[in-house]
Amino acid sequence: MGYEINRFQGEVDEELICPICSAVLEDPLQAPECEHVFCKACISQWVARQPTCPVDRQTLTSAQLTQVPRILRNLLARLMINCDNAQYGCTRVLNLDSLSIHLEECEHNPKRPVLCEQGCALVIPQDELKDHNCIKELRTLITKQQQKMNEYQLEFHELRYFILEQRREMQLLKDFMRALKTSNPSMRAIADAMDRDAQDREVVRWSGSLQRARVTRWGGMISTPDDALQRMIKRTLTEMGCPIHILDDLMENCHECRWPPGLCSLETRQNNRRQYENYVCKRVPGKQAVLVLHCDNQHMGEDMMIEPGLVMIFAHGVE
Amino acid sequence: MANIAAQRIKREFKEVIRSEEVAKCAIKVELVDNNYTELKGEIAGPPDTPYEGGNFVLEIKVPETYPFNPPKVRFITKIWHPNISSVTGAICLDILKDQWAAAMTLRTVLLSLQALLAAAEPDDPQDAVVARQYKENLEMFKLTARHWTNAYAGGPSVNPECDDKIKRLVDMGIEEHQARVALSSYNWDLERATEQLFS
Ligand SMILES: [Zn+2]
Ligand SMILES: [Zn+2]
Ligand SMILES: [Zn+2]
Ligand SMILES: [Zn+2]
Ligand SMILES: [Zn+2]
Repeated sequence: MGYEINRFQGEVDEELICPICSAVLEDPLQAPECEHVFCKACISQWVARQPTCPVDRQTLTSAQLTQVPRILRNLLARLMINCDNAQYGCTRVLNLDSLSIHLEECEHNPKRPVLCEQGCALVIPQDELKDHNCIKELRTLITKQQQKMNEYQLEFHELRYFILEQRREMQLLKDFMRALKTSNPSMRAIADAMDRDAQDREVVRWSGSLQRARVTRWGGMISTPDDALQRMIKRTLTEMGCPIHILDDLMENCHECRWPPGLCSLETRQNNRRQYENYVCKRVPGKQAVLVLHCDNQHMGEDMMIEPGLVMIFAHGVE
Repeated sequence: MANIAAQRIKREFKEVIRSEEVAKCAIKVELVDNNYTELKGEIAGPPDTPYEGGNFVLEIKVPETYPFNPPKVRFITKIWHPNISSVTGAICLDILKDQWAAAMTLRTVLLSLQALLAAAEPDDPQDAVVARQYKENLEMFKLTARHWTNAYAGGPSVNPECDDKIKRLVDMGIEEHQARVALSSYNWDLERATEQLFS
């Protein structure tokens, strides 16, 4: 719906009137062939009912509507219109194209959001300010929030009940599995294989979450770390979310006495130095150490790798 | 009433009042209520038609969805015309139905109705009895239409014979309009009209 014609100063040309709402064109669009012009809202509503030009009934779809010529837009922009809030005391008369900017800041807009300065600091429409009561307003707010909280609490109780139920069922299933395993050896084999599988997958997933590390100076490797150093690394691994079933094995594999044949003595290490670069290493954040997991390093030979992987601690040279 | 409809009707009302057709007394429109939802229209019977000299009053109801839907118009003045019901005044005219276009106005509607009086479309009838007479006996139709224009729309008196036949039925205790309908439907055959009325 366009702008009411009696809001304008002086005569408005017939060309600028929408044939549908008979008001001054707002966001005008044009039909391609006949060049009839309408408000965007008006013509959209019409073609949604019937795909024709409302003036001459030629076929017309909303996709065919186009921008109006610039000259028409200029004519519209130059029209002088009064403010929407004239009835609330605004006396401004402005160009049609600056109306929207003015409306955003018009002080006479009864719905202009203002900040209550009497204490509650809520944002309210200007026209509600005179009947506004901070305490009443805040009370409604509290009531609303209380309601919300009650809803959340209810939901929380339901969820907790649900979890307990699930846990009970899970326990039942576990008991059942255990009974199956003890009464049937082939079942136990399957269950063990499934366990191992799941554990392997967990390690792969964990490894995927870790960042790659680069060792710049392999010579800084500490092959016999002391207990204090080992405890420190172990704590970091725990913080990194290391799967519990490989944690101890991994830590034991940080000492040359547990390393594979290709690494276990100074001499073999010297011989295999060139293969170091092939290791896929993962970072141990904040520590001069890397994780060399078996699942990342299946390309390494048997004498260079062990399950589930090993930890290499350095004096320096890890990035 | 929706803003856009009221806005339109206000403007169209002025348009009709200012139009040259009003100056020539061909069309007229009046407000029935103050919120522009109902109006009273009036059209003059076009010259060289059986409706010449008559004034036909129309009921115009403006829907909430105007101008996206047409106004609802019917004849209040009784009229004998193939496209207008002689009973209810309902009109069969495409622009008041699926051929309505949002840019049409009260003025174009009134002028279209006037054009309909000048050029009936008996193949798209609203009143089957009238349409049959129009097609089978055009002179009889013209006579009847003229008679109705005289009786209801203030047109000139034309055929005393018709008035006579009606009077005879009225004397038998038949209501005047009922008598006119019966006679009109039976090509002014008094015997058949009487038969139908008393059967
Ligand atoms: Zn057009
Ligand atoms: Zn419009
Ligand atoms: Zn203003
Ligand atoms: Zn307040
Ligand atoms: Zn108190």
